[in-house]
Amino acid sequence: MILDDYRGIADQGELRAIEHLAGALRGRRFIHVNSTATGGGVAELLQRMIPLMKSLGIDAKWKVMKGTKQFFEVTKRIHNSLQGREGPPTKKMWDIYESVNRRNAERLDLDADCVFIHDPQPALLVEKKKRGIWVWRCHIDISRPNRVTWYLLKDLVQQYDAAIFSVARFAQSLPLAQFMIPPSIDPLSEKNIDLTEEEVNAVFERFDIPMDKPVLLQVSRFDPFKDPLGVIDAFKLVRKYHPCRLVLAGGTATDDPEGARVLDEVREKAEGDPDIHILLLPPFSDREINALQRGATIVLQKSTREGFGLVVAEALWKKKPVIAGDVGGIPLQVIDGVTGYLVHSVEGTAFRVRQLLQNPHKARILGEAGREHIRRNFLITGHIRNYLALWRAMEDKDSDLIYV
Amino acid sequence: MAEPFRFYECVSIVRMTGRWAGDIVDFLEILRQISRQSIFHHMHQYFLKPHVRPPEYPNDFAVWAADALEEKILAERLANLNPFEFTNIEEIRTELVRIITDYLKEYPPPRPVIEGKEFFFNEGITLVIPTGLEASNLKEFRCALKEVDASSIYFHFYEARLRLGKEQDDFSRFFSDCLSAECPGLADKIRSLDPYMYTAEVLKSKIEALVAGECR
Repeated sequence: MILDDYRGIADQGELRAIEHLAGALRGRRFIHVNSTATGGGVAELLQRMIPLMKSLGIDAKWKVMKGTKQFFEVTKRIHNSLQGREGPPTKKMWDIYESVNRRNAERLDLDADCVFIHDPQPALLVEKKKRGIWVWRCHIDISRPNRVTWYLLKDLVQQYDAAIFSVARFAQSLPLAQFMIPPSIDPLSEKNIDLTEEEVNAVFERFDIPMDKPVLLQVSRFDPFKDPLGVIDAFKLVRKYHPCRLVLAGGTATDDPEGARVLDEVREKAEGDPDIHILLLPPFSDREINALQRGATIVLQKSTREGFGLVVAEALWKKKPVIAGDVGGIPLQVIDGVTGYLVHSVEGTAFRVRQLLQNPHKARILGEAGREHIRRNFLITGHIRNYLALWRAMEDKDSDLIYV
Repeated sequence: MAEPFRFYECVSIVRMTGRWAGDIVDFLEILRQISRQSIFHHMHQYFLKPHVRPPEYPNDFAVWAADALEEKILAERLANLNPFEFTNIEEIRTELVRIITDYLKEYPPPRPVIEGKEFFFNEGITLVIPTGLEASNLKEFRCALKEVDASSIYFHFYEARLRLGKEQDDFSRFFSDCLSAECPGLADKIRSLDPYMYTAEVLKSKIEALVAGECR
């Protein structure tokens, strides 16, 4: 995978900027650390981004912290609490969090010119900082955190040189530089690459989903913040007017123990309905997800909290109109009435689905605009450019106009 | 022999100040104290950002007044502020404060915005990238202009004027200083463009058309 592969997809100026910035940082070490090698947007992004950075001459490395089941239960609690949904972890939980992080700090070589620590799970690794620029990359919505949890985590975050959030409203009062960089999708990954109609049809057949009616699709982890139960309610309202199917497709990540409970609730609610298809996808189902998105008529992402919601970008890239919750990074992707619709309720979701099923021409226009919007703003090339620009800017901290 | 024109492109990254306002009074308070970089950023990011459909107004303050505060009159007054009439950011700040203060004297204060529609004050850090493209005459200029992207126009037009404090944009300065014999009227024509009415992409095509006209 090299930058040249993106010529004809990304803008030339964007590629020129990457080459120039990478030239200025050639041979230097750039380490990314997260908590899972598979499942979830961060792992997907790093799988693609690291080889590309290496191809640009940067000594880029991706390290995954090792955690126990108990540790991931704690970090799920921290995650939910930062999103304002649960109380703070107990003292015992913080002890587990600290000891697992410290064990990883001993195990991992984090000597680099620039270190990006992704999300709260490995945040404590900053204690190991000796040199280089350390950046905390937060992918989750912390606009309304539990105040105690944030207060305790903030102690760690303050030890970083900078923090990155996906959306402006996630910024916090912190004594360090905070940047807004949205995540991205890779148009050449298995999840987004063009597929033939035959392959799309074959995937629907394999999952036993007849393509005899319009298909509404939500792809997400089985997580209460993604509101899969609300999606089923909206689907039932739509079906009074239009025959259609609903596909809820999701996987579980190794750091997401809550997923199984939500999946049970979803299965219970959908039981006996032949038009609702629940797919529990194993890791490495990217091509299947790609096909499901391409075969869908309308894509939903009815989240009530969201970090960024990259699945929205994936669907828009495939020219699908997206109806999605007005939360987190979704409004950056879904421009209301231009690339899809933003909704705030089960009824709003049902209403917009009915509108688009009634008006396929409008659906097509939204989808076309969606692809262009993603191409210009949310591709991996722009993301790499922004990371390199930030690294370069942090080396010249006092300036806001930097000649590279 | 005069120096050739060197084309630069730029990348802008957004630094967040962590300061935000949910009503007009808080907004005004912060506006009076916030950094010059923040005011420049919110007056200009519209021009650099790629849009599938540009927002209704060309600066973030006007867009917020219209969409979040739902105060159309205030939005129109803020949108009509032309930064090119000012030579520095402090003058723009003073004018923004004046417009909002006058509005508050004239009309009842708007209600606070709903959650999620607050104004977040950000700043832009610009990284300037040399393209290696140079021009010593009109023909070379035309070819190079075709090659560069809209960020080049942003840098040579908007950044040059207000951030770098130059009296005019880099293009018209080059044409008047270096190519006035080859194309005597071009600098004035470029200067007469109203850059705040276009995105950088549209402005680029306008300049390309003017340069192409001179080449005929």
